[in-house]
Amino acid sequence: MQTINLNQLEKILYHVEKPGRYVGGEHNQILKDWESIRTRVCLVFPDIYDIGQPNLGLAILYDILNQQPDILAERSFAPWHDLEGQLRENKIPLFSLESKRPLAQFDIIGLSLPYESLYTNALNVLDLASIPLLASERGSDHPLIIAGGQACYNPEPMADFIDAFVIGEGEEVILEVIQAFEHLKQAGADHKALLQGLSKIPGVYVPSLYLVHYAQDGTISEFCPSDTQFPAFVTKRIVPELPAHPTHLIAPNIETVHDRLSIEIMRGCTRGCRFCHAGIVNRPVRQRSVAEILQIIEDGLASTGYEEISLLSLSSSDHTQILELTRAVYDKLHDRKVTVSLPSLRIASFSVELMDELRDLRPGGGFTLAPEAASPRMQAIINKPLDNEVFEETVRTVFEHGWLTLKLYYMIGLPGETMEDVQAILDAGKRVLAIGRQLRGNRVKVHLSIGNFIPKPHTPFQWYPLNSTDELQAKLDLLKVGVRRTGLKLSYNIPDNTLLEAWLSRGDRRLGQVIQRAWQLGAKFDAWGENDNMPFWRQAFSEIEIKPDFYAYRERNLDEILPWDHIHTGVTKTFLKRDLEWSKLGKTRKDCREQCYACGILDAFGKERPVSPLVYWGCP
Amino acid sequence: MNSEPMRIRMTYAKLGNLRFIGHLDLQRLFERALRRTNLPLRYTQGFSPHMRINLASALPLGFIGEAEQMDFWLDQEVPLDEISNRLSKSLPAELILKHVQEIDNQKPSLQSSLLSSEFEIVLPGDLDPQVLLDQISTLLAQDSLPVQRRKKTVDLKHLILEWQLGSQALKPLLKITMKSTPLENGRPDELLALLGIDPADCVITRTKLIFSEE
Repeated sequence: MQTINLNQLEKILYHVEKPGRYVGGEHNQILKDWESIRTRVCLVFPDIYDIGQPNLGLAILYDILNQQPDILAERSFAPWHDLEGQLRENKIPLFSLESKRPLAQFDIIGLSLPYESLYTNALNVLDLASIPLLASERGSDHPLIIAGGQACYNPEPMADFIDAFVIGEGEEVILEVIQAFEHLKQAGADHKALLQGLSKIPGVYVPSLYLVHYAQDGTISEFCPSDTQFPAFVTKRIVPELPAHPTHLIAPNIETVHDRLSIEIMRGCTRGCRFCHAGIVNRPVRQRSVAEILQIIEDGLASTGYEEISLLSLSSSDHTQILELTRAVYDKLHDRKVTVSLPSLRIASFSVELMDELRDLRPGGGFTLAPEAASPRMQAIINKPLDNEVFEETVRTVFEHGWLTLKLYYMIGLPGETMEDVQAILDAGKRVLAIGRQLRGNRVKVHLSIGNFIPKPHTPFQWYPLNSTDELQAKLDLLKVGVRRTGLKLSYNIPDNTLLEAWLSRGDRRLGQVIQRAWQLGAKFDAWGENDNMPFWRQAFSEIEIKPDFYAYRERNLDEILPWDHIHTGVTKTFLKRDLEWSKLGKTRKDCREQCYACGILDAFGKERPVSPLVYWGCP
Repeated sequence: MNSEPMRIRMTYAKLGNLRFIGHLDLQRLFERALRRTNLPLRYTQGFSPHMRINLASALPLGFIGEAEQMDFWLDQEVPLDEISNRLSKSLPAELILKHVQEIDNQKPSLQSSLLSSEFEIVLPGDLDPQVLLDQISTLLAQDSLPVQRRKKTVDLKHLILEWQLGSQALKPLLKITMKSTPLENGRPDELLALLGIDPADCVITRTKLIFSEE
């Protein structure tokens, strides 16, 4: 077995940018004795350390696994181009930060796939670790490759490369997987038997046990297990109650993108925005109590020394005790020289008041609101209704309460959008700026941040085509011309950059070949806008003879078998179809805490719902 | 709060993986480590208060530091052994606390009193010590040794105060003392470069910081 020559590695580290990315050694890192451990897991986040290390999911799994006396978990990240070049030139395999062992020496690789643009990096990491990319080419001599994360709700594009996906929340299932792995190995199971055994665990999807057939038109004609003993569909796993939050978090030695104590205060969202993948796949809503959050803050600060806290959720204002929480946080921290950020606030004056409760704990900078759509028609289509009076009142409150900069998030390319709807974004921006200037003068800045809508699997909009690059460009041009001489600041994404995410997020198994080919041609770090990998992707599609437009620009038939239909989020396809219908009629839904629309979550997980009224579930 | 702060000088070693953490990152790392101690740290006054810490001298990336120094300030008196205990627990494994002492607030800052640094460089074992000795002697016999640093030229010869070539575990060992003032800071890796040796092939340790009062 290949080992890392540490002297050689150290020499290499002299010549790379930010070598601190590759050495570990941080406070709270856990380094266990390799020899005395039964199962060794390497958690891999396939982006650079600076981006991957702050990921809370990674920290949660690292904590859970290392709490087990017989398991060790180490970390590895994608090396930046400079180190990759050196590793390849010197034939050094990719290694873990803690013990600097080659990834191939671990029993299990736990690959984090939170977004699609990491797919080529994931292949690159396996290749740098000298692990065969294709699951079909791996056996008992190789680590088991498990993937999880939000992108895995459509696992199909990565099906060729992954032995088993964990669908949904990994907190409980990860230990079940390792336990089964240990039992099966002990019982002498070969690789095939191991995979079959793992497929018996609820929430675990082993793609190699399924067959896909395609019709003439390229759509799926049949998707089925290769044997009746395997489940026909895989339902995501959830934790009925949010488990203990990790507090012994690794305090990075170098600066990272979210260099702060991140605390998940709530999971899921009850608002039902129809474009929102996270809003569907993370149901039901569960939250932590004020007392628990305060304890996490206390322990987290003591163990990391962070000077900044971020209270994370999909919709912070919807935490049922949010006012109490912000007051308690202020009382606790006001003389501790820390700042507290509370992102994802709803558009309501209440949200501004919440921020006020934090007083001098608030970080500097502007206030951010996300209307997503500006015209009442579009707002109804996406189910994010916003009364104009409420909007203007909120904006007024923001400026009156001291903020001078307001950032507004909008999307273009939404279903049924017209130029009038895009114009409405401009008009809203101008009105907001006028309100701000009237209240606070010319120092006020209003920033329109425009995202391109990408239809996502498991959402009511999963059947819609992506807007063409020309359409998106025309809409952007309208905005770009429109903001001239208004004082509004505009930021946006290049339409072409949304294509990759559009292809991959609703892709099928055939895209595996395209991903592999694009990677071979040089695609990696696809999330980094600066390196334009588009030519590699276009060439890969053309060589594999698959039309990318089939994935991006095609309106799906409602009866079509979608590539992710066998992955169940608990929200039924019937519900999604009905919600799509409502969208077309311009019908909105209320917050589902007020009224249940029978999305399917309670049917799927009702039995797991905690009996104790102290455990909050957002469902009525 | 406005009373005379307690000024602490800590001496520490920076080694292993921590050699690859640069100066700015190290400063942030110390701030976090100090926060973990829960000691009554002194912050600057004003709109955005900063923790008062003061590192003697930036250690180049990849170098081991055996006796680096840093000052920080506390709002109240705390027994030195308690400071020492809490600090040891709060530092990452490869930052090793060697010593803490209380320093008179009137004394000048570490940077302004730093005069020179001593380094020990373990050179690659395949270098012939005699050839190396001749090489260094010839080099240093020149009137000046200009090296390029960003946009300015520095005379390296002027920065070398003392040197001595010995051996350690069959490898040549160069001991060298160089100026380390804010205006004139000697870097031994620049000398290695002039000798045609890749610093990455050496183990470079800063063994001592020498201050004006010593």
